[in-house]
Amino acid sequence: MSIQEQYRSRAKELLREGTVKMVIGYGAGTTPLRRRPIFITSPDDADRLVLDAACRTNLAGYLLREGLLADQKSVAVFLTPDGVRTINILAAESQLATEQVIVLGFQIDGENARQLEGTRVADFSGIIAERKKKRKEQPSHEVARKLEQMTSVERFSFWEGEFSRCIKCYACRAACPMCWCRRCVVDNNQPQWVNTSSHTLGNLEWNLVRAFHLAGRCVECGNCSEACPVNIPLHLLNRRMTEEVLTAFDYYPGADEHQEPVLASFRKDDPETFIL
Amino acid sequence: MTKILYANDLTACFSLWRKEGMRVLGPVSKAKTSGFGEVQDAHELDLNLVLTARTLKELFFPRTEPMFSYSIGKQKIETGEFLPSENACIIFGARPCDAAGMAIDDELFNWDYRDEYWFRRRDRSVIITIACKESDDFCMCTSLGLAPDSAKGSDVLLRPLASGNGWRVEELTPKGGKALQPIASLLKEGSEAAAPTAEVPLLFDLEACTTWLADPENFESHFWKEISERCIGCGTCTYLCPTCHCFDIQDEGDTYEGIRRKNWDSCSFQLFTMHTSGHNPRATQSARWRQRIMHKFNYFSDKFSVNSCTGCGRCTRECPVDMGVRETLQAISTLQK
Amino acid sequence: MTDTIIAAQNNIYRPAVMKIAATRNEAPGVKTLRLEFQDTADQEKFAAAYRTGMFGLYGIYGEGESTFCVASPETRKDYIECTFRQSGRVTTALAAAEEGDRITFRGPYGNRFPIEEFHGKNLLFIAGGIALPPTRSVIWSCLDQREKFGKITIVYGARTVADLVYKQELDEWAEREDVELVLTVDPGGESPDWKHHVGFVPAILEEAAPAPGNCVAVLCGPPIMIKFTLASLKKLGFEEANVYTTLENRMKCGVGKCGRCNVGSVYVCKEGPVFTAEEVSAMPAADL
Repeated sequence: MSIQEQYRSRAKELLREGTVKMVIGYGAGTTPLRRRPIFITSPDDADRLVLDAACRTNLAGYLLREGLLADQKSVAVFLTPDGVRTINILAAESQLATEQVIVLGFQIDGENARQLEGTRVADFSGIIAERKKKRKEQPSHEVARKLEQMTSVERFSFWEGEFSRCIKCYACRAACPMCWCRRCVVDNNQPQWVNTSSHTLGNLEWNLVRAFHLAGRCVECGNCSEACPVNIPLHLLNRRMTEEVLTAFDYYPGADEHQEPVLASFRKDDPETFIL
Repeated sequence: MTKILYANDLTACFSLWRKEGMRVLGPVSKAKTSGFGEVQDAHELDLNLVLTARTLKELFFPRTEPMFSYSIGKQKIETGEFLPSENACIIFGARPCDAAGMAIDDELFNWDYRDEYWFRRRDRSVIITIACKESDDFCMCTSLGLAPDSAKGSDVLLRPLASGNGWRVEELTPKGGKALQPIASLLKEGSEAAAPTAEVPLLFDLEACTTWLADPENFESHFWKEISERCIGCGTCTYLCPTCHCFDIQDEGDTYEGIRRKNWDSCSFQLFTMHTSGHNPRATQSARWRQRIMHKFNYFSDKFSVNSCTGCGRCTRECPVDMGVRETLQAISTLQK
Repeated sequence: MTDTIIAAQNNIYRPAVMKIAATRNEAPGVKTLRLEFQDTADQEKFAAAYRTGMFGLYGIYGEGESTFCVASPETRKDYIECTFRQSGRVTTALAAAEEGDRITFRGPYGNRFPIEEFHGKNLLFIAGGIALPPTRSVIWSCLDQREKFGKITIVYGARTVADLVYKQELDEWAEREDVELVLTVDPGGESPDWKHHVGFVPAILEEAAPAPGNCVAVLCGPPIMIKFTLASLKKLGFEEANVYTTLENRMKCGVGKCGRCNVGSVYVCKEGPVFTAEEVSAMPAADL
């Protein structure tokens, strides 16, 4: 049985037994290469589920849809290890209860989707610990290395250039499972912290505020860069922040559901090198 | 016999136009995206693109533009007006769907009150459109009653030659004719055949869709929730739509001086319609997606006798969750009446 | 920046400057400003265009513009009065403005109450809370030519006694023999010396039972009150075509461009804000 068949029958079973009220997964898209999020509530529809290497979107954010989890019923979601980390962070930030989440875990290896054992987020802690280790050893992205070598002036002008394309559609925010604020800081106007206009300053303000807000929270799922209609390499910023908290605090976001948010917790032995 | 513009002469054309004081803009691929930008030389153009990622509307309705400056003194409020005053321009190589979009929005921006920010630029621009000989999986102009060689909104239409060496030139408006005068010497008489235009398949029955949308019974149909369930409410489809025209007015600065700006806004956003009281007429994403479709295919046409969609397909092409006008109208046209 | 500053008279987004001639606190958080045009040309333009029901965009540079009705009647056009509740960024700045300060105004925009069509008819005004201002504009437009109308009844309710606006005018109307004023506050909102009704507007209206014959009703209030009051009016025998109301959608441009106030085929700023209940019924209820 192919992995897709396996997951289809598992989804069917979960729905038929009433273990979950919905399965959030991937379906066929407009073109053969596209996948789209789909929401299955009837076992008969489970055959619409698709699982292959084109399933890239992190679906975890859909769990926060208003009212979805309010009835205490469970929902099954197709998640990669980074998706599971997302759930852990959302749980740690009190946005959902992991008891309501059944994980249909998978991983993309090259051209193939591979099944991951486990049902609850806790079942994936070993895989996540492994990823943390790998992440520490992972060399920086080529562009990131180039950026590191730049002078601060050069770096600033690189980002100024990238952000100059920003049209302030906020697709990055909408696509990001971590952007769950009911009212985003840019939408507050008393006072108006961030300029809403999409000019150089406004674009810089927005993108930097978002990057900082994601420090220690980003799972590097890539939803933001994928969603950006003008292809700003937002992941470069977020990766840099991830590396920063990893080095400074040995902190890997979403390691488990009890891990305290790094910038919202304090330990006596936290490094203070950034305090001037 | 017809007039032919050879690709080899394009850069010379551009110089002639510039000599007349006109800027030349066209489709350019730059910095990981594509849109319309000013060019000096024909080589800077990316004429092989099916369609630029960003639309022609940005030239007339930028994502942010200053409207007024203000400075408040003890006795006086002084204001200045920023009105577009760029030189006339030639837009070379627009696509028919984008050009049509500008004509559609003219209706709105001139509806009893004339928006000078739009029209000062519109009036000084000549749109030279190139008919499409290729399309992609997302193009749907034919389903919207347009075609890869529609003339709507264009001043000049160019049909690519089968040889790939240039274009047959069709003058559509007096403004277009005037723009062709300075380059008359470069237009050769010829009878070379044009390449066939792209075959864009019909994807839905527009009339069936608009009939369904016009039925008040369907306004609260479960259909809307189902079709938009995965919508994440980003504004991409609206910001990359050639006809979406919604905007916000924002002041930036302090109590003493600053600028009042006109910024793009989107009906996809929750805050767009939120009353100060907290009441939101369109509180759910499905209500907002319904508004976008209804506005394009029912409300706008009610008012201006034209649908506010040209089938460019960008909404689907660029949607992070693979939604778009196409899927919705395809679904509607297969619904039981 | 490629744009240069040019002065143009035909810029539809350009506001006029107005001076605050007087301010009045109406209720907690609710204030009235009396405004006078600084430029006589603007004053003339306003006087020529203004009819009751129209609205304006009142603004403070640096904060923005906010939409509310012109609360003064079409029979008194040498000034503008506006009444608003302090709630957002702009209204907070407007509330802080003092006599002598200058603010901006764009308008008058929108359609109007067809007052000529009301001639010879009985008029029933119903308003809730902060929605008395648009009603008041019509009330004074009619009272200033009292002889042209039949019986005039005003039903006005607020949450509490303190929340009633235009208290002086309420006294004035109460004393007039040619006006029947029915005042009410929500249960629990009465003060010890409150001598009027206690109850919600729809119930009090049904109690007052104005006759629907040859009568036009003007109804303004929050969406929920409108909904229930319309039901009461129906019960009393009013036809939807004889009930006028105003919609208060969020607006930015005021001139049918920005798309914000669109509901159904209507742009409230251009084709409203005044509609008959019949017209409102034709709009998609879910979007109101």
